[in-house]
Amino acid sequence: MTATATPLIEAHDLAVRYPNGALALHHVSFEIKSPSFMAIIGPNGSGKSTLVKTALGLIKPSRGTIKVMGYDSQKKSGKIRKQVRYVPQRDRIDLTVPMKVKDIVLMGRLLKKLPPRFATSKDIAAAKDALQQVNMEDLWERPFPELSGGQRQRVLVARALASEGSILVLDEPLSGTDVESQNLIVNALRRYHKENDVSIIMITHDLNPIHTLVEDVLLLKNTVIGIGEPCSIMDPELIKKVYGPTAKVVEHSGHRYCMTHDSGLDRHD
Amino acid sequence: MIDIIQIIIESPFLQRALLAAILIAIIAAASGTFLVFRGLSFMASGVAHAALGGTALGIFLQDSGLVPWFDPILGALLFSVLVAAFTGYAGESGITQKMEVAVGVSFALSMSFAVFLMYYIPPYKVPLIWGYLIGDILLLNDLDIFMLGSTTLLLAVITLMFNKEFVYVSVDMEGSTAHGMNARAYHYLMLIVSALAIALATKAVGAILVYAIMVAPAAASNELVKSVRGVIFAVFLIALVAELVGIAASFVVFVSPSAIAGILAALSYILALQIKRVRDRVDVDIDDPDLSPDDLKETWNHAVTHEHEDGHEH
Repeated sequence: MTATATPLIEAHDLAVRYPNGALALHHVSFEIKSPSFMAIIGPNGSGKSTLVKTALGLIKPSRGTIKVMGYDSQKKSGKIRKQVRYVPQRDRIDLTVPMKVKDIVLMGRLLKKLPPRFATSKDIAAAKDALQQVNMEDLWERPFPELSGGQRQRVLVARALASEGSILVLDEPLSGTDVESQNLIVNALRRYHKENDVSIIMITHDLNPIHTLVEDVLLLKNTVIGIGEPCSIMDPELIKKVYGPTAKVVEHSGHRYCMTHDSGLDRHD
Repeated sequence: MIDIIQIIIESPFLQRALLAAILIAIIAAASGTFLVFRGLSFMASGVAHAALGGTALGIFLQDSGLVPWFDPILGALLFSVLVAAFTGYAGESGITQKMEVAVGVSFALSMSFAVFLMYYIPPYKVPLIWGYLIGDILLLNDLDIFMLGSTTLLLAVITLMFNKEFVYVSVDMEGSTAHGMNARAYHYLMLIVSALAIALATKAVGAILVYAIMVAPAAASNELVKSVRGVIFAVFLIALVAELVGIAASFVVFVSPSAIAGILAALSYILALQIKRVRDRVDVDIDDPDLSPDDLKETWNHAVTHEHEDGHEH
């Protein structure tokens, strides 16, 4: 990619309100080049999900604009969504419907088609391949609601990997998952980003599991606190500003790790 | 057997009742299933009672001479669609609780409205409103069947065409939208077509039975059957059997067919819960040797015996 390429995301003086009227984001302006593996970090309620949903045109900004690949989130949301594969927070998936694992993974591909959205053998092959990448291929016929939290998360990541489009958006894909699922997801994303010309935008409250593969980090607390490479974001002053005075940054074998109340070093070897 | 066929051939009201039973079973399968998936079973009740309020309005407008052409059924359809649209609007963000509240509010509003209007329509027409509450499948006329039939056809065609979309809206509305599907349009389509069918079914069999037939078989099937298609088919069967038994019973003993059908439908849910409980217990008891490695099995057995000992102590 050349320097003149369209940026992945650019926001200008963006302000967004929660449905209850409270200000979720204000004075947000930044630009991220494309392609990138980007992480949006910040504590709970810092507006991470809101920022991404606004970028996808799911929420209307109350001021300013945000563009994805040069398309305005409000006027050209159709163009943006054609390129996007989205993994919502796990608890946004309704478990009342008796979906099988294969139905969920195929959903990623079928949503990009027009009705009647029949699954071709190519779709099925792509779905199986995606499940294999997160080590879930044996559970093809298993009812999705019966899986554990970590397994469900892996299936959702597979849904995104199976789909098509140059931008992967994942909302907290590592929260509440065990180390095994976490590693499987991170490795699958690492491989996928390396082998394909895709950008990955990942929301997380814990940068540590992915800080070796992220290229750009956006540190949010209702506005942009910091933007840059992982190690420049892992700055004690910045982290304290966002996570409070108890947060620490630790250096270990050449990498900086962030210690906050919701993430401890014991989780990462 | 031949006797039964003889009776059916000789009595057109029975033919209409049987046809209505099949049509309502289709409505339950197509619309009840998705309402339960969507966590919106309460909407069936809300829409059915809104139909009642709409009918009251229709009778009032016609009878008072204000709008003579306004047939009560138009009022029923109008109110039902309004409730569905209001529910849909509340749930655009995909939050189910908001939709439940919206249904509750419109339920109360349309019932109050019906009671309000009852004071202003001639007393001999009031039973017409109550007919919407209780209904009688044996008293349908050809026009009722025709309207019910055409709405059922519309609902069935739309559900066949867009069942994947309706499932996706129920499972992950946000994700579906983000992937480029017009989830909002399907969300409204599903609710409004369901509302039309429920309103006409209410006229046929009454609000109370509509609620029972719409929700209980779908909830029962959803407990036991593990595929969307399987649930739809099971709902159709349970609803149909409940109604046919209801009609048959009304010939043998002095009983309302709707009452029997409603009770059977509700029982199907209780039965499903019991079957599920028994099945879950069996699932735990059976130890599949292929699935658990030996050392795990030993730990497992150990744990089980331990549990038993604990059980004795209490």
